[in-house]
Amino acid sequence: MLEIRNLHKAFGSLEVLKGIDVDLEKGKVLVIIGPSGSGKTTLLRCMNLLELPDQGSMKLSDRKLEFKSGRKLPTREVTELRKRTGMVFQSYNLFPHKTVIENIMEGPVIVQKKDRAAARAHAQELLTKVGLADRGDYYPHQLSGGQQQRVGIARAMAMEPDVLLFDEPTSALDPELVGEVLRVIKQLAQEGRTMVIVTHEMKFAADVADHVILMDGGYIIEQGPPQQVINNPQSPRAQQFMNRIAGEDI
Amino acid sequence: MTDRQIQIVIDSFWPLLKAGLMYTLPLAIASFVLGLIVAVLTALARTSGIRILDFIAQFYVWIIRGTPLLVQLFIIFYGLPSVGIILPPFVAALIGFTLSVGAYGSEIVRAAIQSIPKGQWEAAYSIGMTRGQALKRVILPQAARVSVPPLSNSFISLVKDTSLASVITYIEMFRQSQQIVARTYEALVLYTEAAVIYLMFTSVLFVLQGWLEKRLSRFSAQ
Repeated sequence: MLEIRNLHKAFGSLEVLKGIDVDLEKGKVLVIIGPSGSGKTTLLRCMNLLELPDQGSMKLSDRKLEFKSGRKLPTREVTELRKRTGMVFQSYNLFPHKTVIENIMEGPVIVQKKDRAAARAHAQELLTKVGLADRGDYYPHQLSGGQQQRVGIARAMAMEPDVLLFDEPTSALDPELVGEVLRVIKQLAQEGRTMVIVTHEMKFAADVADHVILMDGGYIIEQGPPQQVINNPQSPRAQQFMNRIAGEDI
Repeated sequence: MTDRQIQIVIDSFWPLLKAGLMYTLPLAIASFVLGLIVAVLTALARTSGIRILDFIAQFYVWIIRGTPLLVQLFIIFYGLPSVGIILPPFVAALIGFTLSVGAYGSEIVRAAIQSIPKGQWEAAYSIGMTRGQALKRVILPQAARVSVPPLSNSFISLVKDTSLASVITYIEMFRQSQQIVARTYEALVLYTEAAVIYLMFTSVLFVLQGWLEKRLSRFSAQ
């Protein structure tokens, strides 16, 4: 489903990704963890080309892309790949001038040229799924953060992407609102959606992940099933990180 | 005021108001609409990331903002005939004011586009939109809302600035009052009367501006 090889990305002279390989099978959940500045968000943003990698290759479903430094990809290649990914942002990034249901319909109607009525019906289904069936005609600023983020998830799913990407989806939320968003994501995992999640929520990561990647300094320093990476890390740096996280939990 | 002055005020009210409605306001509205189109195109050129477009746009804004509007009107109306371009007063005024609104307006529109958070572009891109689709569907509608207060100020200024067109023989409200003064020698009375009619126009616009801002703020409490 998703296959990334030798991915490099630098911002100016700062090298953020130093050769990353990722493999993700259909229906699996990959969770990326690591200290801030480790490159995990950049890696996620490379997956839908919000950041253009400098080097390496990426294959998603039927699209294969090769990256070379200084070469821009054709717009068509970029949008085709983005149509196969859905992104959920840390700060939701809903369109404030559109109602909830219009936010969700926007991609299908404008990008996929779907019929409005069909798009509306599908959007309503998605709203029901994320528990906001009665909020379609509200504007985003009339909703709580947790509700906005659930709309964000519905908007990402509306494109029926091959893979859903989550960029620290609960980091901007008040603590009491985190649970409702994590429950929705967990439900999607159980339905067998392919997902990549960057998060700081270790318990959630252990709970939902099929595979965990721990990043530090632009490298993957440990990966495997969650029991191993989170509860029993092998490398000293991974152990250090897990200890520090455990310390913060107290 | 003497009876004669009162009579002059009454007699000239309708001719002045008529000049305002038929010449001042149409010039203001036409050059504002055309100017807005120029402003948006200029702002898009400046934010396009295409260097030559950005350069041309910057050059245009530099010239217009850096020289007096009155001088620009003189160049267009009195200067261009020496290279064979003879324009009627209305057209000359329309060109001058359109270029002015375009340049000042482009700075407003550009600031509004840049005030939209980067996350809005990213959200638009993430659902597969192209740059053009993102601009049209996501960025410009939000930027338009941000621009309403400063742009309505520009329009109100423009209504007053049209009095400059009097010097290129366009018979708008102020020129009309000058002509009545030339006949009656009642400068204080007539210019004050013209000022009052300008004030009537702008007062209506102030009310409209307040109403428009209130309407737009309902959608975004960001």
